Amino acid sequence: MDTVSSRTREAPLVMLLLTLVPSIAVAVRVADALWLAAGAVLVMTGSSVARAILDGARPAGTPETGTPAADGPGEEDRTARWLRALVISSLLTAAFEAGLLAVAPAASAALGIYAPLLAVNLLVAGKGGPDPSGASPLRATLSSLRNGAWFAGGLVAIALAREVLGAGTITLFPVSGFGGTITLSPLLDQPVRALGFAGGGLLCLGYLVAAVRAVLARKGSAAPRAEASR
Amino acid sequence: MAESIRHAGPGDPATSAAPHLRVRMSTSRMAWLASLSLLPAAAWGIVLFGLPALIVLVVSIASAAAAEAAATLPRGKVTLGDGSAFFTGLLVALLMPAGVPAYVPAAASAFGILVVKQSFGGLGRNWMNPAMGGVVFALLSWPGLLSQWAAPLGSAAANAAVPPLEALRAALAAPGPRDATPLAVLARAGYGFSGLDSAAVGWVNSHVLAPLGTRLQPGTLDVLIGHVAGGIGSTCAPLLLAGAAFLLTFGVIRWHLPVFYIGTFGLLAFVFGGLGTGQGWLAGGPLFQVLSGSLVLAAFYAAPDPVTSPLMNTGKCILGAALGVLTFFLRFFGSLGDGVAAAIVLGNCISPLLDRWMERRKVQELGQGVA
Repeated sequence: MDTVSSRTREAPLVMLLLTLVPSIAVAVRVADALWLAAGAVLVMTGSSVARAILDGARPAGTPETGTPAADGPGEEDRTARWLRALVISSLLTAAFEAGLLAVAPAASAALGIYAPLLAVNLLVAGKGGPDPSGASPLRATLSSLRNGAWFAGGLVAIALAREVLGAGTITLFPVSGFGGTITLSPLLDQPVRALGFAGGGLLCLGYLVAAVRAVLARKGSAAPRAEASR
Repeated sequence: MAESIRHAGPGDPATSAAPHLRVRMSTSRMAWLASLSLLPAAAWGIVLFGLPALIVLVVSIASAAAAEAAATLPRGKVTLGDGSAFFTGLLVALLMPAGVPAYVPAAASAFGILVVKQSFGGLGRNWMNPAMGGVVFALLSWPGLLSQWAAPLGSAAANAAVPPLEALRAALAAPGPRDATPLAVLARAGYGFSGLDSAAVGWVNSHVLAPLGTRLQPGTLDVLIGHVAGGIGSTCAPLLLAGAAFLLTFGVIRWHLPVFYIGTFGLLAFVFGGLGTGQGWLAGGPLFQVLSGSLVLAAFYAAPDPVTSPLMNTGKCILGAALGVLTFFLRFFGSLGDGVAAAIVLGNCISPLLDRWMERRKVQELGQGVA
């Protein structure tokens, strides 16, 4: 299981197809992206916490099964951890799907297959798999929340750019007196439809990644300068 | 080594953009010569379509130049002088309908420069032709606006604002008898050719061709000189071919890719073009298909782009044939305009593969020669 996963992680195209494309496909409207982001945060945080608790709940002195590696648990134990992660992520995804169907059936219909794909996406991306560091539940929660916030921020930013330019609207949630959709009239009349296609989503993703890398690179180059000035 | 690269001039092969061929022609000279050779077609477009065409040309070129300056200024090296941005803006404008809202050519040119060219490192590092990328972006984004054409000067007929290709498609979609040639189909459908065409074709038929027992179809002159609705600078084949001859003479382009492109497309159109419309085999009207739309413009000015076409002549021939096949399918079965811009963008994807394949073959041949 672990071998397959690491091989998968080494193939950029597989990673792209399994993790990014489904996310990009659904990130056409801000509201859908927000729901998917909420689901991702729920599944990531929930599965991390559950795994951290279960790992910590193993009775003292219980030996690990399988042939232990020099720097980690045995093969059978790793497989058991992966299966456990899969079950936990699937359960949380199912709970999210059921909750979404009850609370927002329209959003559930819009997300379609992409909500169940969430568990697979997170496992493949390594965010839902077993935590090799054996962190405490609190640290696992914080780590998952941080990862989830990045994912949510990126997804919403992409959806916002695509919806504003590609449809001339911003779809949020209807509340009393507000229908849930903001219209931007010049773009509503002649939107840049190309951004609504999957290629437009990948384009937005590419520029988002480039912007984040540029900011991080600037931070990285600013730190040594600050050190030197001291 | 690092020092020498850092201080090398723009002409140094270590720092300048591909292609690194040892020829006297610089990239800048190529771009300006290509732009110069397109000016007659642009001028003809302004004559045909008037002020709206001029506005589209100015906006498109200005947008490309502004995008180039905006992208290169922060790096401290403005590359407007190399002429590539001007050429991109000009090419985008020549493919647009006159009267299209100004933001469409502006966005298409800016997309071509900023996304297709500068995002990948600037001139010589783009994998797709910037102008064609911009046009495909515009076609995907505003398909309705890019199908609103203007009637050319002196054409008063109601359907004169419809390009012949679209009029032919509409005429063949309707039930009724099937004429043998596209021009005959258009004539039966009452397509609005100009009075000049009627007079000239009538004179040639009665004074020259009647004794020979043959005759020209109405519309021959209009289609030949581009006096029809269409892109601002893409309809007048004689002026485009004259510009292409200029480029061939100066060694800016080579003949392989355009000839294989137009030849393959014409052959496919001739053999299979009439099948889908019930006209039968060998009835596709290849000359009409080649002269209509933007095939001639793209074949000589976009497809042979030295950055996005294969380096070796065999590769150019293969890519030309592939573009012909792609254009045929996109034009006859697709919905992205006349299929030319989309075909070139798709063809650009296989260009690096062809180069790699050719290089491998060349190395193997050399290895066998040494052995």
